[in-house]
Parts: sequence; structure tokens; C-alpha cells
Amino acid sequence: MLFAIGRRVLNVIPILLGVSGIVFVLFNGVGGDPTYQMLGRHASAQQIEELRHELGLDQPKWKQFVLYLKQVATFDFGRSYKTKQNIGEMIRNGMGPSLSLAVPAFLATLLCALTIALVAAYSRGSWLDRGLSICCVMGMSISALVYILFGQKFLAYEWGWFPISGYDSQFPQMLGYIALPALIWIVVSLGADVRYFRAALLDEVTQDYVRTARAKGLSEPWIFFKHILKNAMIPVITYVVIEIPFLMMGSFLLENFFGIPGLGSITVEALTDSDFPVLKAMVTLFSLLFVFGQLLTDILYTVVDPRVRIS
Amino acid sequence: MGKVRSVGAWLMSVGLLSAAGCQSGTSKDPLLTVYLPVSAKIKGMDPAFANDLYSGREISYVYEGLVQYHYLKRPYVLEPSLAASMPKISSDRKTLTFAIRKGVLFHDDPCFTKSDGKGRELVAEDFVYTIKRIADPRIMSTGWWVYDDRIEGLNDWRAEASKADITDYSKPVVGLKAVDRYTLEIKLTRPSTQFLFYLAMPSGWVVPKESVDTYGSDFARSPVGTGPFVYSRKESNLGSKLVYYKNPTYHHVTYPTEGAPGDREAGLLEDAGKALPMIDKLVTEVHVEQQPMWLNFMSGKLDWLEIPKDNFEQAIGPNKDLVSELKVKGMQLVKSTEFDLTHISFNLQDPILGKSKELRQAMSLAYNRIPLIDLFYNGRAIPAQGPIPPGLNGYDPKSKNPYGEYHIAKAKDLLTKAGYPGGQGLPVFEYASQATSTDRQMAEYFASSMAQIGIKIRTVSYTWPEFISGVNNRKHQIFGWAWQADYPDAENFLQMFYSKNGPPGPNDSNYNNPEIDQMYEQALTLPDGPIRTGIYKGMTRKITEDAPWIFGVHRMKFQLTQRWIKNFKDHAFEHSRAKYLRVATEMKTDKK
Repeated sequence: MLFAIGRRVLNVIPILLGVSGIVFVLFNGVGGDPTYQMLGRHASAQQIEELRHELGLDQPKWKQFVLYLKQVATFDFGRSYKTKQNIGEMIRNGMGPSLSLAVPAFLATLLCALTIALVAAYSRGSWLDRGLSICCVMGMSISALVYILFGQKFLAYEWGWFPISGYDSQFPQMLGYIALPALIWIVVSLGADVRYFRAALLDEVTQDYVRTARAKGLSEPWIFFKHILKNAMIPVITYVVIEIPFLMMGSFLLENFFGIPGLGSITVEALTDSDFPVLKAMVTLFSLLFVFGQLLTDILYTVVDPRVRIS
Repeated sequence: MGKVRSVGAWLMSVGLLSAAGCQSGTSKDPLLTVYLPVSAKIKGMDPAFANDLYSGREISYVYEGLVQYHYLKRPYVLEPSLAASMPKISSDRKTLTFAIRKGVLFHDDPCFTKSDGKGRELVAEDFVYTIKRIADPRIMSTGWWVYDDRIEGLNDWRAEASKADITDYSKPVVGLKAVDRYTLEIKLTRPSTQFLFYLAMPSGWVVPKESVDTYGSDFARSPVGTGPFVYSRKESNLGSKLVYYKNPTYHHVTYPTEGAPGDREAGLLEDAGKALPMIDKLVTEVHVEQQPMWLNFMSGKLDWLEIPKDNFEQAIGPNKDLVSELKVKGMQLVKSTEFDLTHISFNLQDPILGKSKELRQAMSLAYNRIPLIDLFYNGRAIPAQGPIPPGLNGYDPKSKNPYGEYHIAKAKDLLTKAGYPGGQGLPVFEYASQATSTDRQMAEYFASSMAQIGIKIRTVSYTWPEFISGVNNRKHQIFGWAWQADYPDAENFLQMFYSKNGPPGPNDSNYNNPEIDQMYEQALTLPDGPIRTGIYKGMTRKITEDAPWIFGVHRMKFQLTQRWIKNFKDHAFEHSRAKYLRVATEMKTDKK
């Protein structure tokens, strides 16, 4: 198994090379020249040339690509064009706020969604199941922006239950600031998650082993919690692990509206500012997290279902 | 809802039973704290890169220059700041000698190792260092244009530094000399009326060498100046909140004792002569989105705000005054016209647009600014009659741009005169806009305006870097954007028509008129006065006749302050106005 894992880790190299190539072509092909933006409307042609030289943008493209690969290999992307800040430090600073919102919100969503899905699947076909399905579809149909605007206007401003926006990295002050965005996160995600988990659970309900369990006279709750839930874990794990890179990259919308200085807003700002070093770092980080997330999923499968082997 | 306990406050108290844990972030702040919003993340606190309004404002709390703008007087005038008095100017107007104010201290900071972290005294050599740093090719300062070819020997110094492996700051510059500890001499390459304005800009604000050397690449997050506020690195995050405390060693600066007509009646001279700053703490909150900024202001958590476009109708009634709901709360509305200009540029290197003045004039006549002002600015703008905004020397309120009115019949006549009756024979022009929804809508508005005279426009939107690359590479045919004044002199707008300032410089339309060039060069050397103002007016007439741009609008600012904020007066150039503000604590604590 270790050999197989090692081989999977090595597979990351061609994937990263591919991603790097695409990123490089995209940003060099359509991104515009960052020097004009960095120097502003008063810049002279000489200054622009000097800055292009300083940033290495006057080098042949292949040299720029080799330098980029070196940065990927060492994960040292230098400094942001815009803020001149060390990118590693930017990511470290941004990850805390992003995770402080994403992790509790995600775990709470997971817990709520699994519970509701179990209830829905257990009472499948009943008015309760149908009612929950309708609520889920309604929840999914409403844009996240609506929840944010409603939450800030009524829950925070009118009723004063939460701060309108802001962030404090100190615990427990942080809790007050992340409460409302976390609640919105849960509400926004819940519908889709419940439907996904319910479908996964119902897939198991029709399996032979369930009929066998019923034939043996086991009680319905026992079958559900002891057998069906355990076997439905594979799609749940897949879902959870795939979400991990997204959690670490933060939520742009929530971070922007609630003034949380996380990675989501850093990435989108870098995109609008053509801050290539930051973008390259974020794309590489995301690719790495995604690839390793997939590997982790496969390993966890073997834990949940002993029949699964990594070959 | 008074009895419903805040969930946020409850959550803050969870996990900590101590009283401290139950306090919100703001309730810990001293009463004399001012909270200001900023609508973009701050890119850094280094004056060498403060080429945007937001960074400039934040940096101004920490740093100062030789001169600053008088807070109250209008028209805008400069006054000494770190200079003891305004400079002595030689008879040829090329040498400026500044006496530096004695006893001014930099903020206490660990970078001052020789004095155990106590801020040392400011000396003339600090200004020499600061200007050289802006010129240093390795710094790549966005403020270099301010000094480029303006100080004797500085361009040579920069050229030598470019060739060397490291920049040698000890090498002298002929025109930049600390004559003694408190005397600075600057020799200009030619007389310049604008040079003193340049010194009031961020690239003129003094930085101590010790700080630059100590913090190196992290200098932009470790500002150390002489200004009224000390930046709290520990509590600040450039992406969300910046925190400053009153500088305990601030040199003696007092609130102005004179102002403009009406200031005394408006209560703006009540604190005349009082030591500045009058607040203990300043917090800038980053609000990229408008809704939370507006709600925070409405709940009293922000003290000032520029009314966001989406909330304009909630705040301002049809008569352009505050709605009664806000008046009752004691909020104060401050209206002002900005020193700016929106415009649509024609690329005059385009074989058709560049050749036909009548075509450009016709397009200008077909562009109706009145509905534009309502559609895109909530009525917060006035039509521009030329390149110079009201309030600057050279602006003539009686002068009307002959092509600034909306007149379809005249436009059609001119189009026929240009040889394109009804737009026949013209290709489809490309209008380049930025990729924001408002810019795209403005592009559509332009296209529909031109369609009225038979001119076909294809609108294309670009990301900001692509857009600006297209302008600088002279690829766009027609494009819209705006210019905001750097200093209160019409020259700042007229430079955009000087042929030597072509892209990547500010002359984005590639306008080339030798007569305008000659007038511009002549005006540059003249002191402020009727002759120079006459030249500016002459230039305006010629430029509007040539129509290299469609002159759009001058935007207006509608700002609100809470009832407890005193001494607020709009200032287009004095960024550090927070130092003049006072909090009427009795009003702030009165929840009614």
C-alpha cells in the first residue's frame, strides 16, 4: 500500500506541470501587462522598461516558465506585485481567518445535513420527507447574496443579534464575528448537502444486505444507524475530502461582505489586479490540495470499506 | 429589541468567563476614537507607492512633508508643515531653501537602535534621503514622475544607480543638499510653480533611513513617520482594519485660526488654536462591499462615509438634501464638487478618428450628458465644459464648450461636413471599457448615443490591466475613463494634452498640437497670475475645438458624518484630515 501511495504522490508531478503550463499560458496570454497598472498613469516608458526588467518580464517566455517551475518546486513565489508582501506570509495570514470561518461552518453543515438526510431517508416518501425536500430545493434556489443581504440587514442591523461585519483574530472575540457568516454558510449549503446525503443513503436502502437484515428481524433504526449509515460513508467521505481545498481557499463572497481578511478575497483581488505571483501561488496551492485530497479520499476508503484496496 | 441579547456578544463571551471576554471590539476603544471606512484594501504604507487615494489617505496619518494644504482656506493654499516657514525662493525661481522645523521627532520605534527605540529628531538630511529613495531605480517608486527631470543632477544620480550593483545614497546630487542640520536646498532644472504642490504629495513625505534599513521589504507594513498618529502594526491588517494611536511626541501643531468665508458660522473655527490631534485613536475599517459599510454607518459604528450609490436614495431626497430620518439623527451632509473629469478619449493615431476634427465634434454633440448624470451618478455630477474643473485657475464659468451641448441636428451637419453623411463610409468603431458592470453600461450608453447619428459602435470590455495595456500600446480606438487631480493647478489636467506626455504618459489620446505644446511649456515657467490663467483659458478653447476627448462630467461627493463628529470639512488634497476632527463625547454617549 505504501508503494501505491508513493506512486500516487509521484503522479502529482505531471499534474502540477500541466496546471503550471495552463496557468502560465493563461496569465501571459490574456492577463495584460501588470507594469502599467503598477506604475500608474504617470509612468514613463523608461520606468516601464525598468520595471519589466526587474520583474523578469523582458526575459524569453521559456525562461519565465522555468523560473515559474522553480517557484512551484520550492513554493517560493516571491512577493506580491501589488502589496510587495511575501506571498508565503500572505497565505499564512489569510489561511487563519478563512479556516476560522470555513471549518466550523463546514462541520456544522455536515452534521446538520447528515442528521436531516437520515431523518428524510428514514421517513422516505412521508410528508416529512417531502417537506424537507421542498425546503432543500427552496434553500438551494435562493442566491447566497440574498442570505447575506438579509442577514446583515435584519439579523445584524435591525435586530442587533450579530455584528454587521468585522473580524477579530483573538479568541473568543472571533466567535461573535464569524457567527453570522457561518450561519449563512450553513443555510446556503444545507439544501444541496441534504439532498446528496439522502440520495446516498437511499442507494443503500435497496441493497441486498438491507433486505437480509430486515429478514433477520433487525429493527429499522438499527439497520439505518448500524448498517446503512456506515455503508453510505464512502460518498460522504468523497464529498468531505473534495471540499477541503475549497475550505482552505476561503469564501470570496462571505469574506468580502463580512470584512474577513481570508484567502478568498486575496485570490479574487489578485485576479482583478493581475497580481501574477499571488495567482500562481494560489492556483498551485489549490492544485496540490486537490490532488492530495483525492489521495486522502482513496486512503480513507480503505479504512471505511476493507474491501477497497489502493493498487 | 432591546432585551434580546446580541448573539454575537454572547458568542464572544463563550469560552471566557472573564469580563474582558464579554466586551465587543469597539467597546474597548477609548471614547475619543474615530472610525472611518475605506472601500478598498490598502496595498501598503510606503509613501513611495501611494499612487492611489486610499493608500495616500492612510499614509498621511503617519507621515508628513515639508508643506501641507491649509485645512480650511479656499482656494487651496499651501502652508508649512515640517518646514518652519514657506521656502525662500531665489530670484531665478530655481532654488528653494527650506528651514526645517526644529525639535520634530520621528515616532518611537525599535528601528532607532542608537536611542533605544526613542524617535530621533528630524533633520534636513532626511529629506535628501527621502527624495533619493523615490529616485532609486531599485525602489521603482510610482512617485518618481514628481521629481523626474525636475531637480538638478537627480536624473544623473538615478542613471548611475541603474548601472551600479547597489544604489549608493552617499553620492551627492547637485540640486539636493542639506546645507546644515536644519536647512534643505533644492535646485530645480527650471522654475516650476507646481513643485511645491509636489512636495505636499506622498512622494514628498519624509521617511527615516533607519526604518527603511531595518524593515527592508516589510517597510510597507511598518510605517514610521513624524505624523499625528502612530500605526499599530500589531492590531492592523491591511485587508481589514488599520489602527492608529495619537502620537504622544507629536510636534506642536494647532487647529487653524483662519478659514474660508462661512467657516466660523459653520462652527469650523470653534477649536481654533487647539493642539492637534484631538482624538486618541483612529480606526480605518476596510469595507469592500457597500451594504455593510452603509449599515455600520447607520448603526453609528462608522463616523464618516461617502454615500454609496446604492444607498443614495435612502439618504438624499429629491431636493438633494438629507432625508428627514437622517436629519433627526443629527447626521451632517457635506456636498462638494470633485476636482476630477470623466472623459471619452479618441485615439488620434487612428487614421479616421485622428484625421477628422468634425467627426469628433459631431460625436461629442451626440453624447447627452444630462441623462447620463441621472443614470450613472444619481444626479451627483455636473457636465464638463472642458478639461479644467470648477475651482481651479483657468476655469471660466461663462465659457461653454461649443460641442458640449446635446444637439443631434448640429452633429449630423458636422458629420456630413466630415464626409460621412448619416455615418455612411465609417467603419464600426470599437469602444473599450473596463469590465465592471457600470463601465459596460456606460459603453452601451455611448453606443446608443452614437447610433442616433448613424455611427456604429462595438463595445468591448477588458480587465483593468488589459484595458490600460491597450491604451498604452495605442490599440484602443475610443475608450472612457477619468482623471482625478493630484494638486490644485489646472496644469495637472492640461498636461494630458502635451504631446511629450503621450502613452504610457497621461496624454492617452496621442493629441499633438504644437501650439498647445508651446502654450503649455510657457505656462509651466510662469508663476500663478493673470498671464498664466489667460494661457490656461486659451488652451481650453483650442482643446475643446480640437475635441480629442468628449468631455464628460465633474463628479460630486455627498458625504455624511455622525452628529458627534466636529470640524469635518471636505478637502480634495489634504488627506490627513482626521487630525483636525473632534469627537463631541457628550453627543456620542447620548444614545438618543
